[in-house]
Amino acid sequence: MMKAHKIALRNVGEINPASIQDYMDRGGYEALKKALHTSPEKVIHDIIQSGLRGRGGAGFSTGLKKKYTSEAACVLLECMHYIVCNADEGEPGTFKDRIIMEGDPHLLIEGMVIAAYAVGAEQGYIYIRGEYHQSIHMVRKALAHAHARGFLGHNILGTGFSMDIEIKLGAGSYLCGEELTLLESLEGKRGYPRIKPPFPAESGLFGMPTLINNVETLSHLPAIVINGAHWYRGLGTEKSPGTKIFTISGDVNSPGYAEVEMGVSLKELIYLVAGGMKDGKPFKAALLGGAAGTFVPESLLDVSMDFDALKEKEAVLGSGAVIVMSKDQSILTMLDSILRFFEHESCGKCVPCRVGTKQLMVVLEKLKGADNKRPDHIDSLVYQSELMAKTSLCPLGQSPVLAIKSAVRYFRDELEKPESFQSRCQ
Amino acid sequence: MDNRVSIKIDGNQLSARRGDNLLAVAQRNNVPIPSLCYHRKLTPTGACRLCIVKIKGMGGWIAACTVTVAEGMEVTAFDPELEAARRDILDYLLSEHNESFDRSYEDEFKALIVRYGLDDPVRRRFPSVWKTLGQPIDDSSPVLTYDASKCIKCFRCIKACGEVQGKHVLSMANRGIQSYIIAGLGVWGASECDGCGECIQLCPTGAIVEKPNRDLLITETPEKRVVSICPYCGVGCQIELVVKGDRIARVNGVEGVKPNDGRLCVKGRFGYEYVGHKDRLTQPLIKRDGQFQPAGWDEALDLIASKFKAIKAAYGNEALAGYASAKATNEDNYLFQKFIRTAFGNNNVDYCTRLCHASTVTAMLRALGSGAGSNSIEDYATADCILVTGNNMVETHPVTATYVKRGVAAGGKLIVIDPRWTPLVKHADVWLQPKLGTDIALLNGLMNAIIREDWIDRDFITHRVERGLEAFEELKDVVADYPPETVEAITGVAQGKLLTAARLFAKADRALIATGMGCSQQVTGTHLVFSLINLCLISGQIGKIGSGLNPPRGQNNVQGASDVGCLPMSYPGYLPVSDDANRKKVATVWNVSHEALSGKVGLTTVEIMQAAYAGSIKGMYIMGENPMLTDPNLNHTRESIQRLEFLVVQDIFPTETTAYADVILPGVTFAEKNGTFVNSDRRVSRVRKAVDPPGSARQDWKIIWEVAQRMGYPMKPYADETEIFNEIAAVAPFMAGIAYHRIDREGIQWPCPTQGHPGTRTLFLKQFNTASGRAILHPVAYVPQTEKADADYPFLLNTGRILYHYHTCTMSRRNQALTDFSNRSYVLIHPEDVKRIGLKNGARVKVASRQGEISTRLKASNDVLPGELFMPFHFGESPVNELTRDELDPDSKIAPFKLTACRVTAHQ
Amino acid sequence: MKKTDILEKYPPKMENVLLILHDLQNHNRTNYLSEKDLSLVAQHLNTTLGSIYGVASYYSMFSLTPRGKHIIRICRSPVCHCAGVNDVFDELTKLLKIDVGATTSDKLFTLETTECLGQCDLAPAMTVDEEVYGHLTAARIATIIAQYRRKRSHGRRRRG
Repeated sequence: MMKAHKIALRNVGEINPASIQDYMDRGGYEALKKALHTSPEKVIHDIIQSGLRGRGGAGFSTGLKKKYTSEAACVLLECMHYIVCNADEGEPGTFKDRIIMEGDPHLLIEGMVIAAYAVGAEQGYIYIRGEYHQSIHMVRKALAHAHARGFLGHNILGTGFSMDIEIKLGAGSYLCGEELTLLESLEGKRGYPRIKPPFPAESGLFGMPTLINNVETLSHLPAIVINGAHWYRGLGTEKSPGTKIFTISGDVNSPGYAEVEMGVSLKELIYLVAGGMKDGKPFKAALLGGAAGTFVPESLLDVSMDFDALKEKEAVLGSGAVIVMSKDQSILTMLDSILRFFEHESCGKCVPCRVGTKQLMVVLEKLKGADNKRPDHIDSLVYQSELMAKTSLCPLGQSPVLAIKSAVRYFRDELEKPESFQSRCQ
Repeated sequence: MDNRVSIKIDGNQLSARRGDNLLAVAQRNNVPIPSLCYHRKLTPTGACRLCIVKIKGMGGWIAACTVTVAEGMEVTAFDPELEAARRDILDYLLSEHNESFDRSYEDEFKALIVRYGLDDPVRRRFPSVWKTLGQPIDDSSPVLTYDASKCIKCFRCIKACGEVQGKHVLSMANRGIQSYIIAGLGVWGASECDGCGECIQLCPTGAIVEKPNRDLLITETPEKRVVSICPYCGVGCQIELVVKGDRIARVNGVEGVKPNDGRLCVKGRFGYEYVGHKDRLTQPLIKRDGQFQPAGWDEALDLIASKFKAIKAAYGNEALAGYASAKATNEDNYLFQKFIRTAFGNNNVDYCTRLCHASTVTAMLRALGSGAGSNSIEDYATADCILVTGNNMVETHPVTATYVKRGVAAGGKLIVIDPRWTPLVKHADVWLQPKLGTDIALLNGLMNAIIREDWIDRDFITHRVERGLEAFEELKDVVADYPPETVEAITGVAQGKLLTAARLFAKADRALIATGMGCSQQVTGTHLVFSLINLCLISGQIGKIGSGLNPPRGQNNVQGASDVGCLPMSYPGYLPVSDDANRKKVATVWNVSHEALSGKVGLTTVEIMQAAYAGSIKGMYIMGENPMLTDPNLNHTRESIQRLEFLVVQDIFPTETTAYADVILPGVTFAEKNGTFVNSDRRVSRVRKAVDPPGSARQDWKIIWEVAQRMGYPMKPYADETEIFNEIAAVAPFMAGIAYHRIDREGIQWPCPTQGHPGTRTLFLKQFNTASGRAILHPVAYVPQTEKADADYPFLLNTGRILYHYHTCTMSRRNQALTDFSNRSYVLIHPEDVKRIGLKNGARVKVASRQGEISTRLKASNDVLPGELFMPFHFGESPVNELTRDELDPDSKIAPFKLTACRVTAHQ
Repeated sequence: MKKTDILEKYPPKMENVLLILHDLQNHNRTNYLSEKDLSLVAQHLNTTLGSIYGVASYYSMFSLTPRGKHIIRICRSPVCHCAGVNDVFDELTKLLKIDVGATTSDKLFTLETTECLGQCDLAPAMTVDEEVYGHLTAARIATIIAQYRRKRSHGRRRRG
């Protein structure tokens, strides 16, 4: 049963996001005060205990990321490390971070200062994608207000802890949402992925240990600090505790977003959140997690939307994007859009992705034509996307296989039919 | 902790250094994991993905180049899955690749295509797309061409330019399959690219190729490859000469050997065309009635012998003198000084070192007991602090500069002291820009700060300096007069910068100094170097690995010519001629009576000219030098040379000096001879013959030997250069352990006293070479320059070199590639001064000093301070040394090329 | 504001390069980065031209050729694709009489496509400069374009 529970979105729509007073009136910055009066170790402990997992798309355990930054590397490097907020939201079908930044920017700032305190970082960066003009505007304003109230800057709330946050802007590169690439971009370089290891926690921004988290993840921290890890664990599923913002778009009556407990089903999202299928058209598939996501067919409408249950079905939760397709939509058209996206966003650094994203489009063009070798082309898509997944340097080249394989698994028959491509939507 | 780990690749146990790169380990052990983007000299890129392997316990496939080996690591490098994926990746690359191939380069990619059977189009899986990509060709550089359609985007060129050469000119443009390499804003010829060609050297395909001599390179006939030493500056880079027929077709840097590990500069890589130039001297020429006429060797040599003998008979031994050559080999120079000392019977032998580092050597000899650089080029890459003073290293010693830049990239601090902006300033933490001629005040100011802040190394002073703290107190008294405010008033250097520099230098664990002509070519040159030595001594920055004082040598064999005795005061190995024991030792080896050797210290370079002017020198033998362009106060030099009764010039080209000769003898270039050079690191390396000399040009040492013979001073016959070198080793104690067979692959740094000795990377580790074994402080006060600007000559002129030319351009200007980059003289003037004197940028101007007047072009530039000028000295049509003075440094007799009062006026 | 003032706003560190390039581009009436701009940035950041060119040519929001006064970025992500963005796109090219990447002859608009704008609840969506427009239809497009054209002619009249 779907349970709406607002953590990251608790103020969105309820307050004037440009007013820090509104935010404070609803308990804003109380978590920060509380955190600053406990030890950093305790804050880290609570986050680990909460089981919070990164909401960026990969689902890493946030607590572990933090612990690593704090203990392993800090001693060596005199705690001179950074905290970076990944606000380079570019996954197609995803706009949850935008909603937070536009609707409740102080929540993000408060979460970030808490995280910085926990790991001892004194400098933070929020890397916002350049196209998010309104988000940039709201966060910039909120930072100024937080500064003026002493929640940021030197000697925060008289506790002796100091930290500052700067905004950095992306400039049109999906790949920069990948955490190591984001660090490169933050340093003012081309958006090329770095070699892992080292991980950011060992050597991140400017070679220093760096904690990097997504907007939504950081926005959960104030609530965890106030209510405790136990409370948080009580939400969602055992392995994916807490809530998740889903952004639902496509052929539904009311596209939008909702924060619900992990474990909600796809059917519930479509029918209870998004008002059901658009004009009552029959459901065909949903693309979960955006372009770097998977197609799911009708048979998976009831699967629990959490990191692990989806993984079992070879699907991904990803960023929480749910793109709903009715029977009118063509899988091939969708694949076309996805693969063109990857071709456009491939940075070109590694061969399999640079050439592979191009060669996939070559095959797709053939599939779009009236060719009698369709099964071969479909096999070629699978073969090449698997090659890319195994040999590419970063997650981008490893992503096309998700959409391709899930499309072929559930919709091979359709793809084999010559009329499957529609240049227009119905 | 054990420094080695044991790993398994495909079941084979291998031992590797802890921290090593897995792919490097595999390659060293001949495990042929394919790779295109990895290069030993570069940080791993992980772009080509060909080196994917499976590692037990790790998920997925991992690029071996990105893995650090760990104890017990079990690697699968070859299995059908990996090999199939590698073939597919290569197939991918092929599909975006233009396969046309002109056989002018080695193609690593092509080799892999063949290895994986993809040369057969039937075996390819993916359709070719390269023609749809519209990849550009950039043909705008004078030295190379980039063809994006042949580029596999491996990043090796970008990293070669950035990480290896420290230039960062190259980058990738666009993204995805549309990306390609660019220089600057996309036009190579308009970018900051200085043509070093490191990108060509590291390019695994034909994407970046040389432009010169392409027609020569394109052929299937087998090539001859000869490893030798670059004939330009004193870094002594090892080069590979690729020979086609009788011509040099290409030069590569030699990878994996010292000193350059493959790196070259534009002169080294593209400055070889002069060897086969049509202007070469090919036969002896005798001047008859003011005209040079070809002559046979016997005729010319007999004439020379009889003329020199006649001068000796008429005026005595002292009436003859010779200039040896910093460009010739040790073997040539050794025989030259032996010839002067036996056949002429005096010690009047010197060479251009007098014009460049005489003051440095003088000061270092007196204070440290040795005039050679104390460290090695690779030390710059690991130093904590590098102080570069009076040394435009990026242009004069480009490969040394790459090590400095790497040191900076690795976190080392860089202090540049130079009155003029140089390209190294871009990399500097602090740039001190003193007014011309005020360096001693600046250095005393640095010491003043170091002493006041108590950053001195008491322990070092006590144990390694003569009279220890007592001597230090004397120095302290002298430098006490240079508090920061006084220094700022004299030099114009802000106090804060001075203090920063003092702290960076004194507090570094290992600090290195690279000095240069900017320090040495001053009237106070010796004192200035004393100051630098004092600075090292009080802060303990010498006498340990990575610390010391280094004068990078200007020419390929300046060091060697001194080492083998082309100095008026010493025999080979710096044995003073005035010492009877030395004379006896040398006489024995040379098989002459020791009375026949003069014990009187001979004349130096400029003194010889002055003596010629005065009429006491009547005959001269000049080998491979061009004093008519290099000596200060050229009007005076010209007059001096004209007063000689007989002048022999042995060279490879007609020069400003050969014009005044009575006999011109055609010698040979480095590429036509065997022998050795000694670089600035004291490294003795092999020079090898690659091509035959033109016409009847002869080996330089053989010419000298012949003249000696004919003058009646028979030298022992030498079968080849090896025998000459062995004789050098027998005379010079610090080369005693060096022999050709030991330096076949890589040179050895002297001192190397015995055959088993590995050579010496750092001097003075245990003691200095002074009598006491301790270094000697020489406190010096700043004395204002006597040469001053005034109303008539309101500017102070500084002179120097530029990257693309060398010395008097005899060699460098005979290379199309180099002249394409730069071929015109200019004078730099501060824009404010340009405005003040009412001239326009680019105007033809006259630059005049109290000595002379020349014409050049005006270039407005912020590189110089207001009131100061800079001119390159290379260009014969604007001979800067018509302007310079021959007032000499009293200690070293060096002339002050770096400071001349001048005026600039519009050209009529 | 002069270009040098824009540069001076940022400490000369490479990490500020994207901010500087954004600012310089916005400052140019023709919405692009000229070679002169790139040289100024390289000089300010004490780096090479190639490092700046490499960055500027990588990020799709920067243009190295002059553009129109207004940049229309139309989303072609899967969501907007599904929602019929192609029809909207056709209407736009028809109205503006240009192809993607081109600038109208009056230099008022440059038409670009963009990856997901994060406005999926409003699909199909586009931005004109910093303004977001959703639920696009052919009719709505015509109104929006007309608005911008009107604004310009008003501006002209006022200036005239």
